[in-house]
Amino acid sequence: MALPAGPLPTRGGVLPSTGAPARRVTGWRSRRGDLIGILVLIGFLALLPFAVSGFWVNVTVYALIYSIAAIGLTLLMGLAGQVSLGHAGFFAIGAYTQAVLVTKYETGSLVASVVAVALTMTAAVLVGLPLLRLRGHYFALATLGFGIIVSVAATESDFLGATSGIFGIEKPAFNGRTYDSAGEYLLLLAPVVVIGLLLARNVVQSRIGRALGAVNDSEVAAESLGVDAYRLRLQVLVLSAAYASVAGSAFAHWLAVVNPNSANFPLSVKFLLISVLGGLGTIWGAVVGALAVEGLDEGLSRLIPNIVPGASGEVELIGFGIALTVVVIFMPGGIHQAWLAVLALGRRLRRPARGDRPEAQRPGVPGKNRGEGAEPATSVAVEEPSLAREDGPAAGTVLLEVGGLTRRFGGVVAVDDLSFTVAAGEILALIGPNGAGKTTVFNMVSGALAPTAGTVTVSGRRVEGRKPHVFARARATRTFQNLQIFSSMTVLGNVMVGRHLRSSAGLLRGALVVPALAEEQAIESSARRLVELVGLGEDVDRLAADLPFGRQRLVEVARALASEPDLLLLDEPMAGLSGSERRELARLLQRLRAGGMGVVLVEHDIDAVLALADRVAVLDDGVLIALGTPKEIRNDPAVIAAYLGVEEDDEEATELTLTEPGAEG
Amino acid sequence: MTDFLQLTFAGVSVGAVYALIAIGFVAIFTVSEVINLAQGEFAALGGLVAISSVASGLPLVPALVVALVSVAIVSVLMERLVIAPVRRMTTLTSIVLTLGVSTALKAALLLFYGPNAEGLTAFSAGFIDIGGVTIRAHELWILGVAAVVCAAVYWFYEKTTTGKSLRACAEQPVAARLVGISLGRASLISFLVAGVTGAIAGVLASPVTFTAWDSGLTLGLKGFVAATLGGLVSMRGAILGGVVLGVLESLTAGYIDTGLRDAVAFLLLIVVLVLRPGGVFGRHAEARV
Repeated sequence: MALPAGPLPTRGGVLPSTGAPARRVTGWRSRRGDLIGILVLIGFLALLPFAVSGFWVNVTVYALIYSIAAIGLTLLMGLAGQVSLGHAGFFAIGAYTQAVLVTKYETGSLVASVVAVALTMTAAVLVGLPLLRLRGHYFALATLGFGIIVSVAATESDFLGATSGIFGIEKPAFNGRTYDSAGEYLLLLAPVVVIGLLLARNVVQSRIGRALGAVNDSEVAAESLGVDAYRLRLQVLVLSAAYASVAGSAFAHWLAVVNPNSANFPLSVKFLLISVLGGLGTIWGAVVGALAVEGLDEGLSRLIPNIVPGASGEVELIGFGIALTVVVIFMPGGIHQAWLAVLALGRRLRRPARGDRPEAQRPGVPGKNRGEGAEPATSVAVEEPSLAREDGPAAGTVLLEVGGLTRRFGGVVAVDDLSFTVAAGEILALIGPNGAGKTTVFNMVSGALAPTAGTVTVSGRRVEGRKPHVFARARATRTFQNLQIFSSMTVLGNVMVGRHLRSSAGLLRGALVVPALAEEQAIESSARRLVELVGLGEDVDRLAADLPFGRQRLVEVARALASEPDLLLLDEPMAGLSGSERRELARLLQRLRAGGMGVVLVEHDIDAVLALADRVAVLDDGVLIALGTPKEIRNDPAVIAAYLGVEEDDEEATELTLTEPGAEG
Repeated sequence: MTDFLQLTFAGVSVGAVYALIAIGFVAIFTVSEVINLAQGEFAALGGLVAISSVASGLPLVPALVVALVSVAIVSVLMERLVIAPVRRMTTLTSIVLTLGVSTALKAALLLFYGPNAEGLTAFSAGFIDIGGVTIRAHELWILGVAAVVCAAVYWFYEKTTTGKSLRACAEQPVAARLVGISLGRASLISFLVAGVTGAIAGVLASPVTFTAWDSGLTLGLKGFVAATLGGLVSMRGAILGGVVLGVLESLTAGYIDTGLRDAVAFLLLIVVLVLRPGGVFGRHAEARV
């Protein structure tokens, strides 16, 4: 029931990130850009009170307050792919808590805002816990409901001042200085915004940000590498609620009044417009968008009553609505997209003068010249070490145990009572005609699909019906037949996601950068080694989606290996590879086996399978019809019949055909 | 007991309105996986156009026709101008787009009709007393019209070729295209269905609940919750969901607290989504890799 969008249906997608392929490359260019951005912002805020009238300084104060909330929303939408239509609800919880603590309990503003953040984060956990398990629509509509509930609760509560709200909130004072004019308040807000921006930017580029980017590209692939999408989304929601709360606290002090309007739907729409207009591809969108939207708001509030006499109330919403629609249709990347286009134009104008190409720095075979004889034959020597993981399971240990696995789709039995085991240091091939149920088996084993009946045990842990990240945590992972590459990332980025489980920096460490620095460097260097290992060295910084299909499969293999699995499920890894690439991959698999890895291989290249596998399981119509050594399988009459549909005594023909690669189609 | 019957009956008639809005959600979602956040605005627009037509001297029936036609035009325009041009519709895009339309429509209503809530004249005035249960005559109209509309929708989807082709698009978009069904046309028709049912919901509700420029927000949310009870893909589930929601709200308001009325939908939504994400009355959808 999906739209015929792309070949890779993903859940909870984000706006197409137009023209920003290098978004996640943590190069110095992006760091320099952020630094310049912050300097420009500080300069702008410092000069503003001298350049424009007090009215516009006041507008800027509101813009900054809203931008703090919008930073959180941009994280939620751009990173976690979830839309909140009730962000004003979190904003209001922050604002009300601040107001109550400051006016009724004489708490200091700073302490009050910390308490407010804690309270808002708790609310976010309660909202997100049940709802983030579901598809994006539900979360969006449920947050809309949440906003309404907060607004109703505030209106009904006498403690919160009912419809008139809480007033008389004084301007904050620190060290005997009261920040009571718009110019002064800017001084207070600027550091908050800058710190908020920096932390958010760091989160985007951290391990968590990378994992969530992967989830947006392909949730099932990210989960198969151990990314717990639900948990990370929840964390981002809670973080974004914290931003909204800080904005609410700042709002309470500035307006001096908090009433149910601060939880109103139009405010949630405003936050959303700020994020979308600014652009979800960058945190900066929130600040630029806030200034643009506040300007738009002021302009419209003056303009519309002139056009339509007697117009009152929230008439500027008409502009908001139109802006949202127009931006999404014509400029889905928002102002950020326009900015990138300007930058690209500038580079194109400058390039002829300089004439250097960034791709040229890496020596090696140019991308296309990769035929039969082109690759260095010595790359994998026989005496090369086996790829063993230290303290991995001893050879022969049973890694995967499948018992009575069954899956029905309606009346069709796709897989029927299948049992087999895979041991460390063995390659088990799973073969069978198209539609035999091989991929269904993979999906059930890896957690992408719940079995109707049966058990899946990985290294002693039962994982059937659990999500793919549970499978990955048991040191097992897979590749996909219908490629599930992280298309917005480079080859290196893809493989770095594979290191997710072998690293640990969470949101906090990521936001602070320095504590995660060493780990990030280790992730990158080991990812680079793996990219080299599968022979993608010269493509390491290319966008993975730009590679030919066969080489995208190698990216998936490298990505899977990056998680250092004991058990590896490969779904047709050789499809689309050249003969020499197939031989390279076969040699790699042999080394992995020698290192103690258990491999399950679905492959149509029968020749390769029979040469490589220790044991072969043959599936036909969902039923295991044979399981044995390649030699036994080659001569098994049931297998021959299943593959060729010939009489069982017609051995001459079958013998011949089974040695032809790809005979089965 | 009389109280209970009274509340239940009131709930059923409000629920019928929710059901009609829910039908619009399902009609569009099944074809294009878009949750139309402007669905509630269709109802508000219908109500306000009818009210202003009556106020300008038009008799009730022509006024209702004017309302239906205006909303139908708006819904079709929305599909052509806003939904059709987008090539890659993700969840996020669809939410932001329809939110944009909804917001613009809301503000347009505020500009044209002002901030005050008004009620359409009831189709029949007066009350009917059945065994101590007092029923507004208009509520019978609501039930009757809603039943006719539901039957018509059922007939459309089950018996007509166009309706069947819409269901085909919903279930197998690729196969539907292969046999020559245009997804664009299906999407257009689904918006038309949503516009008409939304407008009918709006004019039916107006005499009871009054209509203001921002009525669409809660109406839309309730309609969505009703549709969710049916898993968002089942017309029957959506209709049933609307009635159940209406009755639960009415009982909650009557027995517990009026202020909690609007919280019921939200709580129900969470409970249902956590316990039965496929909907209470709907079939289970399978995700495939």
